[in-house]
Amino acid sequence: MTDIVLTLRAALSHATDLSCVVPDRFAELSNGDLGNLPVWSAAAPRIPLRLGDLFAIEGERSSSVHVKGDCRLGEGLGREMRGGRLDVEGNVGSHCGTAMQGGTIRVTGDAGDHLAGALPGASRGVVGGEIVVLGAAGTWVAERMRRGLVYVGGSTGEFAGRGMIAGTLVVGGRPGAGAGQGIKRGSLVALGSIKPPEGFRLACTYRPPHVPLILTRLKTAFGAHLTDAQVHGLYRRHSGDLAELGKGEILEWCTA
Amino acid sequence: MRIRGTFIEDTFAEAFTMRAARIIITAHSLTWARHAATKLTGFATSVIQCKCEAGVDRELDPKETPDGRPGVSVLFMTMGKDDMPKRLIERIGQTVLTCPTTACFDGLPEVPDRVAVGSSLKYFGDGFQASKVINGERFWRIPVMEGEFLVQEKFGMQKAVGGGNFLILAETVETALAAAEAAVSAMAGRAGVIMPFPGGIVRSGSKVGSRTSKTMIASTNDAFCPTLRAVTASQIPEGVNSVLEIVLNGLDGAAIEGAMRLGIDAACREGVRSITAGNYGGKLGPHHFHLRKIMG
Repeated sequence: MTDIVLTLRAALSHATDLSCVVPDRFAELSNGDLGNLPVWSAAAPRIPLRLGDLFAIEGERSSSVHVKGDCRLGEGLGREMRGGRLDVEGNVGSHCGTAMQGGTIRVTGDAGDHLAGALPGASRGVVGGEIVVLGAAGTWVAERMRRGLVYVGGSTGEFAGRGMIAGTLVVGGRPGAGAGQGIKRGSLVALGSIKPPEGFRLACTYRPPHVPLILTRLKTAFGAHLTDAQVHGLYRRHSGDLAELGKGEILEWCTA
Repeated sequence: MRIRGTFIEDTFAEAFTMRAARIIITAHSLTWARHAATKLTGFATSVIQCKCEAGVDRELDPKETPDGRPGVSVLFMTMGKDDMPKRLIERIGQTVLTCPTTACFDGLPEVPDRVAVGSSLKYFGDGFQASKVINGERFWRIPVMEGEFLVQEKFGMQKAVGGGNFLILAETVETALAAAEAAVSAMAGRAGVIMPFPGGIVRSGSKVGSRTSKTMIASTNDAFCPTLRAVTASQIPEGVNSVLEIVLNGLDGAAIEGAMRLGIDAACREGVRSITAGNYGGKLGPHHFHLRKIMG
């Protein structure tokens, strides 16, 4: 079984719903079926396009999918993904990995808003799997995440980890304002500077024993650029959000 | 067969099936990993009274451990499957959890048979514990005064071999001890093998059962006691005045065989009259290690 490779034929001109690109569903589809999957574009909102119109598709019946090209206007890749592997060489748009349940997504570029987010109205977002974005990401990353690992190599927009129920969000750069607000449990590991929300209190400065495991996993399995000083360093533990359960934490890396 | 003048008896060591777990202890420094491992493997020489047998498998470089810190690998063995979780929970809970800066990981991740350990130890956290799932494995973070203790939820358990052995029959206790020490030194640090007795050496080899008590599981191996040579069915040749035994447990028979080859060779020297092995006619266990085949 060879991997499926989707190569963008031309740069997307309008926001395009690519939520049909889900590796575990690709595992049962022939090359022809893949090409006929419906895709919705803001350029012609009432007329569905076919995935094959936008991408040159190689391979079939595989849960390992490579996407090549700048998909910064492509929305919803890996939506409700249950397994398999989605590798994107380039950027992705908003809502990548929404309500993901398993498998891995790796993006070499940047991601838009609502990375690893929740479906509208859902009480919880991502419930499993790993999402790695080597670049930066937009707002509302990992909103209401229940379980899983999300890594953003660069900075994020506002409200990263908002309302997390559990799981781990690692931000390699600087999280925007409101990061960690309203989390019940779970860990937000900030390698850049962060101002914890009002509902957090500084607990201590220590070496969290699980952080080396998580960061080593990100380095070895996904090629994340992390230093030994980050892997084995000291972290300030801020407990919160005390307006919620208070069992969550923001782990702020101590650079010096 | 003779090696440097030492006669190798045409006999075999008889070993039995056990269950084994491998525990990786890491710490801020190797010193603290060793402290924890020493306590974890303390009073774990024989299942007869200790309920488990354990020893340090080898020391680990930071590159070999899950969290990139110095570590020690411990092999931990019990007779039955049901014993393993009880023994691990009580021992890790009292010796590794209590030791500063340590973390505790499963050293047999590929083994399908899993034993719940961290999921019981977590209750020490009194509701403040938290878990993390990393690469499909759950770990428990238990808050302690020094910081946090990290322990893996489940540990792999596999079949193993216990009771591999050989006996060193020497002219003097000094010679026996020097030969046994050399053997242990040659076998130490080999992956998959432990020697659970003090310094790896046993002076009180045992036979099954007892002449005088029906409740005794084991009693002194009078056939190899020099002081009883004149009054029992002794197997000690003339001129032998001290016998020491090396007991080996391993993850498999090949690991034990490899270690025995090195150990027996190191023990053969002037003053060691012969090397033999303990067996019960093949009735005790299915694993037989024939000395001459191993040394051939």
